[in-house]
Amino acid sequence: MLNNFAENLSPGNVSNLVEIVKVTKIYPPDVVALRNVSLRARKGELIFLTGPSGAGKTTLLKLLCRQEMATKGLIEIEGKDLSALGDNDIQKLRQRIGVAYQDFKLLPRLSVSQNVAMAMEVRFMNPLDIKERVAELLAKLGLSEKHHKPAGKLSRGEQQRVAIARAAAGSPLLLLADEPTGNLDSATTALVMNLFKELNESGSTIIIATHDESIYQGTSHKKFELRQGELYQV
Amino acid sequence: MKFLVFMFMQTGRNIRHSWGVQLMTLLTVTLSVLIFSFFFLIYTNMVQAGLKLGEGLRLTVYLTAQLNPAEQEEFKKKITDFGRVEKIIFITPAEAFARLGRQLGNDKDVLDDLNPAFLPYSAEIYPHKDIKTLTRIKEFSDFLKNLPGTMKVQYGQGWVERFGHFVRLLRFIVIISGTLLILTTMFMVSYTLRLTLYARQQELKVLRYLGATNSYIKGPVLIEGFTLGLFGSGLGLGALFFLYQWVKNHFGATGFMNIFEFSFLPVSNTAMILFSSIMLCTLGSILSIRRLLKI
Ligand SMILES: Nc1ncnc2c1ncn2[C@@H]1O[C@H](COP(=O)(O)OP(=O)(O)O)[C@@H](O)[C@H]1O
Ligand SMILES: [Mg+2]
Repeated sequence: MLNNFAENLSPGNVSNLVEIVKVTKIYPPDVVALRNVSLRARKGELIFLTGPSGAGKTTLLKLLCRQEMATKGLIEIEGKDLSALGDNDIQKLRQRIGVAYQDFKLLPRLSVSQNVAMAMEVRFMNPLDIKERVAELLAKLGLSEKHHKPAGKLSRGEQQRVAIARAAAGSPLLLLADEPTGNLDSATTALVMNLFKELNESGSTIIIATHDESIYQGTSHKKFELRQGELYQV
Repeated sequence: MKFLVFMFMQTGRNIRHSWGVQLMTLLTVTLSVLIFSFFFLIYTNMVQAGLKLGEGLRLTVYLTAQLNPAEQEEFKKKITDFGRVEKIIFITPAEAFARLGRQLGNDKDVLDDLNPAFLPYSAEIYPHKDIKTLTRIKEFSDFLKNLPGTMKVQYGQGWVERFGHFVRLLRFIVIISGTLLILTTMFMVSYTLRLTLYARQQELKVLRYLGATNSYIKGPVLIEGFTLGLFGSGLGLGALFFLYQWVKNHFGATGFMNIFEFSFLPVSNTAMILFSSIMLCTLGSILSIRRLLKI
């Protein structure tokens, strides 16, 4: 067991941003969501994580932002073992990971721009820069008209794009998108994929969990498939 | 600097989010400070007045007979052995008679047919500042009563005692209202802020997911507590000052305000009340976030 760990570790290799080694996740009492999963993401990579509903995609993303803890195995980001991080370090790490949640996790009473700005405010970014960045992102995602609307009053497709804008806002080191096009038509899907491409080109590592074939068909990026908690490279 | 800007922005947002409850809390703090400082103001003025009256306080010992100089020296010595005195003056019936005449002013002709000898010889004892407490004066008077040659001791007992009771009652009220002030400010603030935190649970969860640090979440709550304390006590003391001015302008000329100098709380006391209210409210906000959920 220890030997296997050692083989998979590559200390000193800084270009490995995410290192998942033989991770198993069991939800109490006995739901095995992930089984012995290993995955490596280098800096600047874009990875598609596919698989049917219930395969464990969301669980894997949750492990990466320490919303859940692995039952077994090792998860490292930038060489840091997530299970060993203290409370403050986790928060510092979360500031650099943008997550577009499957269920959005927006604050319905706050305006669209406030929702997006929050991700940058927790990092104490300059208020003027925040304003500029919010406007830029909302324009790119076709939400320019919605700045002041409460997020709860938007359609699901619009809420989904707000969640994506918030995840992308701080130009994160790592962007995790969970079914980002689940509620979008093909035109807005294209807007979202363009944004991801831009971010990726400017250095963000991106992991997209999806069962929407149209967005990963014929792509040159890495594809993995989860099937009942087990990971296969495609 | 940027940190502070965000703290204040976030604080403003929190307050706007639940301004109704916050306003109620602010008024509660204001009212408690007003009630406490009102009684405190009266108390300090009474104590001040008591000190002033005490300055003129003297014990009069009526003697059975005149003392010759040697006896006077012995009398003085016995008294100074018992307690410190400012001075001791011996009064002859003639001197007492003249003083009575002065006190009667225009009515002094009623004394015309009287012989000064009907007044007894007496000694006036002015106790030292250090023994101006009521019980000490009483002890002093008991001691003097038992001296040989003493007929009677007088010092305005009834008045002094009643005044002492009044001051003690005031002190009791000040302590009660001070305790109330502590309870209301601290617990009311911590209770309110905890309520608003529960109302913001979803927001706090999202903030945690976005990477907000503990200080980012707790800082604004502390500032809220501080602000409630500052404005609450500021308004309370302000209201008291207006009340004081109003009373002074309306009743200043008539009677009781002239008996003794009625003055506002000294700056040091005002600052103390302000400072402790702020501390209490901040402490309340610390209590409210102490058990803040970890996500
Ligand atoms: N909090 C949870 N408690 C128990 N079981 C869970 C929990 N979250 C997910 N699961 C289960 O784990 C499995 C994987 O779920 P999930 O990661 O959401 O899959 P996907 O995102 O691929 O649809 C499913 O069987 C799901 O029912
Ligand atoms: Mg899912």
